Amino acid sequence: MTKIIIDGVEIEADPKQPLIRACHDNGVDVPMYCYHPGLSPVGSCRICQVEVKQGEMPPRIMVACKTPVAEGMIVDTRAPKAHAARRECLEFLLKNHPLDCPICDKAGECDLQDFAFAEGQGEGRSVEPRRKLDKRKSLGDVIVLDEERCILCSRCVRFFEDVTKKPQLTVSELGSRSTISTFMDRPLQGNYQGNLADVCPVGALTLKKFRFQARVWNLEKHFSTCGECSRGCSITVEILRRREVKRIRPRYNPDVNKWWMCDVGRFAFDRFNEEERIEGAAVRDAQGRLVETGVSDALAKAADILKVHPSPAIVASPWLTVEEGEVLLALAERAGVAAAFVAPPPNDLADDLLHTGDPCPNRRGLVELGLAAISAEEALERIGAGKSAILVGERVVELLGEEALEDLPAALRLIAFVRHPVHAPATNVCIGVPTAVERTGTWINVDGGRGPIAAARPAPPNVRPLTSTLAALAELIQRQEAPA
Amino acid sequence: MFVVKRKELSLRERLFLPEIARALGHSLRAIFKPKITRQYPEEGLPTTEVTRGQPRLVVKEDGAMACVSCGLCEAACPAYAITIDGQETDRFIEREPERFDIDMLRCILCGFCEEACPKDAIFMSDELELADYSREALKYDIEKLKRPKAALQKRIDYVYRINERWRSSSSTS
Repeated sequence: MTKIIIDGVEIEADPKQPLIRACHDNGVDVPMYCYHPGLSPVGSCRICQVEVKQGEMPPRIMVACKTPVAEGMIVDTRAPKAHAARRECLEFLLKNHPLDCPICDKAGECDLQDFAFAEGQGEGRSVEPRRKLDKRKSLGDVIVLDEERCILCSRCVRFFEDVTKKPQLTVSELGSRSTISTFMDRPLQGNYQGNLADVCPVGALTLKKFRFQARVWNLEKHFSTCGECSRGCSITVEILRRREVKRIRPRYNPDVNKWWMCDVGRFAFDRFNEEERIEGAAVRDAQGRLVETGVSDALAKAADILKVHPSPAIVASPWLTVEEGEVLLALAERAGVAAAFVAPPPNDLADDLLHTGDPCPNRRGLVELGLAAISAEEALERIGAGKSAILVGERVVELLGEEALEDLPAALRLIAFVRHPVHAPATNVCIGVPTAVERTGTWINVDGGRGPIAAARPAPPNVRPLTSTLAALAELIQRQEAPA
Repeated sequence: MFVVKRKELSLRERLFLPEIARALGHSLRAIFKPKITRQYPEEGLPTTEVTRGQPRLVVKEDGAMACVSCGLCEAACPAYAITIDGQETDRFIEREPERFDIDMLRCILCGFCEEACPKDAIFMSDELELADYSREALKYDIEKLKRPKAALQKRIDYVYRINERWRSSSSTS
């Protein structure tokens, strides 16, 4: 550790880190565009200039992102010369930057907007027109590039060079015609393109899926964990008007995903926005129709079924949290059977960066609890062999296959804790469950790290947490057994 | 004890006839004076460009909305009366509102939306009347709010004039 002085305060800094990192870690705000803590510094935007005095030399203006911390440095970020230098850089960056903020999706979380507001001047002095470039250049299926807004910080270029190690973008052309482009205008490839929109300090690279969808200050941000693979990346779920999931973004977590996440997890929110679901519960009546009822009535019906047809096959979804798994195990113990969860086979999305290829976000947590991981075929076999069965958790029907459930004998009594109504003839009781953005709990990732999931929006009023409904069913079974 | 002694009225006062005649004289004179009442609603209220009526959206000469659904009026609105959803268009200005709702029952006609708008898209019109048979009908959607630019031109000119005065008095450079 090296001792340096930043704005009159003596601090200890890591000599391997650039000076800007020491400033940020100690609460001194230094603007940055080309610097990103997860990428190699290049010092191309010059916006992070600060005044540095080393030894007997007179103070000099230096870029904080390319200057390593050295013993005895005296740094002044607010020196008039440094401020003037930053201001002039900003004026050059804004020279060709369109006044697009009302249209731009980045407005509200844009570094250029923030620093222009904090340090820039109110009016431009330039009399020449701004450059005209392509405003809608498609870079593949995920990203669209607005060349006019680009300030050529090259963060996106370095993202592919440093993080995915498969360079795809470059700065082409010269001078004021410089743009970001791919080789021969080929579309971008890979599972990590969505990160470009996060990495871009301005609104040049935007997600096609989020384009013009919402203003960022209207989005409610909730910390959660991604459930698309067993890596369990830390994410922020962003909700519009307490209802619709509009965007999922990675959240910095040094142990798991750093600043990044894959596109599979990023764009997996459409199923949270589906309107169709069981609100409350549904039971099959004498005519064979599924009729909506209250949750308590449905649980009582389920307990009656289990009394007549004991030892059900219990099959859970791999999206169950540890807490829900625990309650499910208690229920299984009370019913005198073993519980298992469906573990789909690994998919081909695995890579050496983040995606593990295992679609079960909580495989480790559930296995450690004592639930067995079984394949869909084995699960169907178990269900078909018994007289009754309990399906638990979101997406369990999807994993087993809706047709496979249709083929089950109608004499079987199926109790389903699911999100969508199960129309298979064997279904007797359906009880609604909250989705991953409506409940709280923990997933244990592949390395044993705890990933908390948080309720980003309230569940519909009649949808009770799975822990509560499962515990209620367990209690009903016991109450029926007690007098006997 | 406090006793009020009434004045004894004279015969002339007890007759009341002279007083009635005097009142009729007043009425007769008022007939020939200029009228100061207004036959509302047949006769509308006088409005000027300073009148801050209900907000309306500008439709430009080429038929496109001036609004780009930036959401600043939504953010500025102290009564939370405005709800906006944007969508992409093929025009040069890439964004337009898909949904622009003003709940007129919530609107307090403060004019913050007009002040916040960076695109000269929302202006306080001279439309003041607000009556309907249901609450739902008073949640105005984009079709009810659209007005051609010419209809709002008087107010637009006024706002520009006021802004010019602000700028010249607060300018530092």
